[in-house]
Amino acid sequence: MAGENKATVRDLTVKEKFKLSKFLVRWEMMLIYILILINLILAVARPGLYFNIGTIQSIIQSGLDLSPMVMGMVFVLMLGDIDVSIASIMVLSGMTTGLLYQNGAPVVAAVLAGILTGAACGAFNGVLIGYVKMPAVIVTISTSMLFRGIVEIILDVNSLKNFPAFYNAIGWRNWGIFPISMVLYVIITVIFFFILHKSTFGRQLYIVGNNPTTATYSGIRVERVKLIVFILMGVMAGIGSIFFVGRMGGGLSSSMGTGYEMDVIAICVLGGVSTNGGKGKVYGPFISTFIMAFLLYTLGLIGVDANTRKIVTGIVLLIAVLIPSINRQLVADIRLKVLYKNNKNIEALNLKTAAEVKGLKAEIARLKKEGAASDKIRKLEEKIVSLQNTCKEKTAQMKAELAEDARRNKERFS
Amino acid sequence: MKKIMGYRNIGLVFGLIGLLVLAAIITPSMFSVNAVISMLRNNAVYVFLAIGMMVVLVTGGIDLSIGATLALAGVACTSLMSSHGEIPTVVWVLLSLVIGMLCGAFNGFVVGYLKVVPMIATLGTMYIYRGLAFLLSGGQWWFPHQISESYQAWAAKRILGVPSILWISAIVFIIAAWFLNYRTSGRRIYAIGTNVESARVAGIKEARVRFLAFVISGALAGLAGMLFTSNYASCTYSIGDGYELQAVAICILGGVSITGGRGTVDGVLIGWLMMSVITQFISLLPGLSVWQKALQGAIIIIAVFINIAMARSSEKRFLKERGALL
Repeated sequence: MAGENKATVRDLTVKEKFKLSKFLVRWEMMLIYILILINLILAVARPGLYFNIGTIQSIIQSGLDLSPMVMGMVFVLMLGDIDVSIASIMVLSGMTTGLLYQNGAPVVAAVLAGILTGAACGAFNGVLIGYVKMPAVIVTISTSMLFRGIVEIILDVNSLKNFPAFYNAIGWRNWGIFPISMVLYVIITVIFFFILHKSTFGRQLYIVGNNPTTATYSGIRVERVKLIVFILMGVMAGIGSIFFVGRMGGGLSSSMGTGYEMDVIAICVLGGVSTNGGKGKVYGPFISTFIMAFLLYTLGLIGVDANTRKIVTGIVLLIAVLIPSINRQLVADIRLKVLYKNNKNIEALNLKTAAEVKGLKAEIARLKKEGAASDKIRKLEEKIVSLQNTCKEKTAQMKAELAEDARRNKERFS
Repeated sequence: MKKIMGYRNIGLVFGLIGLLVLAAIITPSMFSVNAVISMLRNNAVYVFLAIGMMVVLVTGGIDLSIGATLALAGVACTSLMSSHGEIPTVVWVLLSLVIGMLCGAFNGFVVGYLKVVPMIATLGTMYIYRGLAFLLSGGQWWFPHQISESYQAWAAKRILGVPSILWISAIVFIIAAWFLNYRTSGRRIYAIGTNVESARVAGIKEARVRFLAFVISGALAGLAGMLFTSNYASCTYSIGDGYELQAVAICILGGVSITGGRGTVDGVLIGWLMMSVITQFISLLPGLSVWQKALQGAIIIIAVFINIAMARSSEKRFLKERGALL
């Protein structure tokens, strides 16, 4: 008897079978399709250029100067926060490295100091957002002014020209057939993939992003998580300065890189990271970085100038955020409004009939397969027709009633 | 006296007075009538942007596209004016309003009806409008000699010694205050911002109100675009770059809550005055003009910090009082 009383332990692990049809319509796969499409367009429009390894390499190099910051931004957006100060942090840490290197500091020390500057800026943001609980938008808007202001104070109108030699290599050289920046970006992405998808900290990020209150009650120190994420963002902006300065040909002035924060956010959103927090994966933004690179380069090749390309960036961004909201619920809502005049009874009747008809049709198909008598099938077909007719009649009747009601109401209140 | 002390924005007023005293001691040259008027005139464009931004912030959204809307309206008006000089200037003012409204309506449609997060939606439209402004201008510059007298007069003509751009901003200020405080649709904007759920239960159509807020903000940005080109008598597609953040900064200084529901037009006015004084003050200090951006950033952080600290302490006090009563 004791054995019967024991409650069966439910298996709580979510097992999702691999389904090809679902896998193919995932957001990341959509991104890959878009990337392939852009490649096809480029290949058709400029075959001479496209089938040349140098072109592909330079496309990738041109688009990857902001890539490290994309990964940092994924984490920030995951929390439901936003960081618009990254371009300023990037310039500030680039300046630190440049100044130290110019004054004879060893390369390693200079680069580390730059990254540490980024971390310090990130920590400043993180403390204000996590512990003081100020809104992230306000904090980062004002710190973006503050950090860039510091660069303006120190550099004024001068520009830095001396940077370590490997900066240039990251922006412009290749390892074998792969651009160095791409190899580094893949390494960064793998690291972030393990942090987000395979570690406790990554799971904590999802919980904090979905519901900070729940996170607090389940023992996650939300303040500390936010601080760590913003420090990480700062570090990535520091590393981003290496990519950026290298790509700019080893020069830095105070007005460089404005608007990069918006580009980075656009890439993340295109990669399927929700700005409300708690949704997104690392590989989506990874793919969309390349999409942006290829898209902008292709447009440039076709002869669209830089400012018009901005329109395309905007439209791509809008479409990217709109697509996930087109789902079954929205379609049902629109049908309810357009077809059924906002009347749930009519909707229910139609849906029920549709379900019945579907069932009957499946029955017919089964019977046909079995080679059943044709009069049986005919009977079912007649049933379908009669069902559809009653449905139509009832719908018309209900709609007429609705119209009559509306007319009466109008009369009464006019 | 009690009534004055109970005024919501009393902290802001004290801040402004402190700033003015500081400025008066260090740079007395700031306080001639002409200097004050030119200071206000240079910052007048921000009144429109900040009030529009405030309306959107109150609903809980943010409009990053107003700088680009300003550029689009400015470029459209200037380019058409320079080729069709015979048409009266009022037409251009109306045109700028219409363009602004259309831009705002698109934002409002995407945010209100398609339910996209305001920051991302307006980020996208910011790119689009700026690009359209470039396409329309063809990268061209317009200089004072291409801009007609009557067009410039809309900002520069002095009525009772005050440039008309300031009169227009005063009128906009009064209309905005009246609309937001005494009209049903104005109060609905606050209702949505304070609590969406209860507003919905009370029968307020959320999408429509958000749409309206963006249309207002767009229309004001469009008007600002026309007045900007009229004020500086020059125009190119990159005007107003980064003004959206400046407008947000003014709103924050003026005590507008970024999470929605709180914010008054008079607060924004005080925030605008503070920002103008700060900018002017710093630019007058010798050797400090490069400090402008850093100081602005620092001041906003401190202002928000004080704002939040005060709100929290008053909340605590309120809870304590209630606890004592219970």
